[in-house]
Amino acid sequence: MKQFLNVLKFELGNYFKSRSFMVTTVLLALVVAAAVALPPVFMKGSFSDVFGGGKESSKETAESSSGADNYDPDAALLGIADPEGFVSDLAGLTDRMPGYQWKVFDSADELEQFVEAGGDGGFLLTGKFTYTYVVRDRSLLDSLDSEFSEIYTSYWQEKELEEAGIAASKVQEILNQSSISTMQILGKDGASNYWYTYILVFVLYFLVIFYGQMIATSITSEKSNRAIEVLVTTVDSTSLIFGKVIAGAISGIFQAGVILGSGLIAYHFCGAGWDYRLDFLFHIPAEVWAAFIVFGLLSYLLYAFLFGMLGALVSKTEDISKSATPVTMVFVVSFIITMTGMNESDMLLMKVASFIPFTSGNAMFARIALGSVSPVEVVVSAVLLAATVVFLGWLAAKIFRFGTLMYGNPIKFTQALKKLREQ
Amino acid sequence: MKLEVKNLHKSFGETEVLHGISFSVESGRALGLLGRNGAGKTTTIRILMQVFGANEGTVLLDGVPFSPKKIGIGYLPEERGLYPKKTVTEQLMYLAALRGMKRTEAAKAVKHWLERMGVEDYASRKLETLSKGNQQKVQLAATLLHDPPVIILDEPFSGLDPVNSQVLKDVIREQIEKEKLVIFSSHQMGYVEEFCHDIVIMNHGNAVLAGDLRELKKTFGHGRLVLSLNGKSGEETETLVRERYAGLVVPDGIHADHVVLKMIGETKKTDVFRALAQADLDVESFGDYRPSLNDIFVESAGDEA
Repeated sequence: MKQFLNVLKFELGNYFKSRSFMVTTVLLALVVAAAVALPPVFMKGSFSDVFGGGKESSKETAESSSGADNYDPDAALLGIADPEGFVSDLAGLTDRMPGYQWKVFDSADELEQFVEAGGDGGFLLTGKFTYTYVVRDRSLLDSLDSEFSEIYTSYWQEKELEEAGIAASKVQEILNQSSISTMQILGKDGASNYWYTYILVFVLYFLVIFYGQMIATSITSEKSNRAIEVLVTTVDSTSLIFGKVIAGAISGIFQAGVILGSGLIAYHFCGAGWDYRLDFLFHIPAEVWAAFIVFGLLSYLLYAFLFGMLGALVSKTEDISKSATPVTMVFVVSFIITMTGMNESDMLLMKVASFIPFTSGNAMFARIALGSVSPVEVVVSAVLLAATVVFLGWLAAKIFRFGTLMYGNPIKFTQALKKLREQ
Repeated sequence: MKLEVKNLHKSFGETEVLHGISFSVESGRALGLLGRNGAGKTTTIRILMQVFGANEGTVLLDGVPFSPKKIGIGYLPEERGLYPKKTVTEQLMYLAALRGMKRTEAAKAVKHWLERMGVEDYASRKLETLSKGNQQKVQLAATLLHDPPVIILDEPFSGLDPVNSQVLKDVIREQIEKEKLVIFSSHQMGYVEEFCHDIVIMNHGNAVLAGDLRELKKTFGHGRLVLSLNGKSGEETETLVRERYAGLVVPDGIHADHVVLKMIGETKKTDVFRALAQADLDVESFGDYRPSLNDIFVESAGDEA
């Protein structure tokens, strides 16, 4: 136990004293915190427009700027030209799109010149329901065209209804009616749980792939710099491999915890700025956290031991990625099954995957977060996964001891098992 | 303490690489484990270190099964290496902790051994910034940090310049004087001859020769003489011996300036001496043949040393 603690302490020191590890952790935490905290500060004016839901307040602002008494010098300057005279009442049309300053032009050329000279955009009316949107540089968030399209369509619809002798206001009233429903969810709300489950599955994917490679690299490095010869004759291989894998687990949990925690803390203080629209990401129930910790951690340890074994079977760090491909592929398959099954977490594939230790870390977690799973199923899956972790830890220690003293070409896993039996 | 290796057999798959190795070594004495590449030295050492087990045979320390981790062996592997990116002190402290030393005790031992090896100025430097020789001295410090009663050194002199070799020789001598049990594997026969009381010569997984080095030298020299004549090469001397003394001796080895002669049947040294004196030859040297370790090794393990 003392040797395990010594190895653990040393390996943790390798992570925590590494400048790149600390810088990456701090930077990512700052980026996540900033991504949560800053948008409400910087996007206060346009925030609601971009993310929806705050349309009324933005409309009010727009209307006030359209009035002559409340002239807003910052309001966008738009042009409109109707050389053929399709619209009898241009002012009536432009009033439907408040919040902008409008200039009327007689020809397409004048309209183009206006836009070239700095106008924010222009509309050349070319017929009933048809027009051309003229803009100099169109930005990604440009919504002028869709706004104008809406008012131009409604303008002509109303015209035609009037010509047909139907009151447009009555039609509008009828069309505005909608059903009012309430929802009674007896199980889990997959729609609102989906995104944080998605993020946590992704976090686990990142941890396994990134830290798995780091653990394999750490072992191969000791092999390639020959430190392993002294280590395996000084410490029992179980302490060595468990120390390395658990140090990787602690570092991974620390890093993920700091990064996710920074986001949670930032949202705790800035949630109001988002009108709590990100609750679907940050309000994670305790049972989901518990499932993530148990299944995520066990799954992480399972793959960490596999990566540790692979690290012991190669002699050069550049051989790791090639040798690790089968294990990476198994984990990627597990990830894809879960991602696919998240839309319907009770499908048969997810049920099967949630009991196979190589896939249950992702699949059972997703089922717990999104579907209905009986406690017995959870316990059986967790016990199977834990037993596999213990077995792989034992096997990893054996292969580690044998593999670390075999230099040269990478040793195949099956070959290692055969040699192990011979010893 | 007495370490006894008895009848070790080891197979990898269908191939048996050790065919019953036996030897013993006691405290205050050093054993030289010699052999050509692939002779089985490293496999024997790895069985001693319990990296893997033997298929057959036992290793006993004072009559009880040997447990290297309990005893605390100082092992300097042939494949040397520590952590290149770690400072010298950091890695020595880590190894000391793994060997069960307390922090203060370890710090004291690290300081002592770095000073003893003459590398105390590099204590806070990363290992990769040190020369190969100094790295090797750090590795030897790592081997001896915990004051192990049993020391196994695999090719300790390879890569060392004469000055560093002298430091290492002094340290090994000190350890032998301190009644440590030292097992020493090397191709450099000169060093083995300097330190080792006992040797084991291994060849193709067999211990072809084992025992007290002085006794072995006597045994190997028994019945053999060495002769050199002034102004004559070894080959000329050999021709002369064949022509004149065929009834007494046969040449058993030709060197640049002398020959080794093997006495035939009941021939005594005095018979040969008398015959040489009567022939009025200009004898430069004549006497008992004392083989070098190299001669013994070549004769026992093949024609390459």
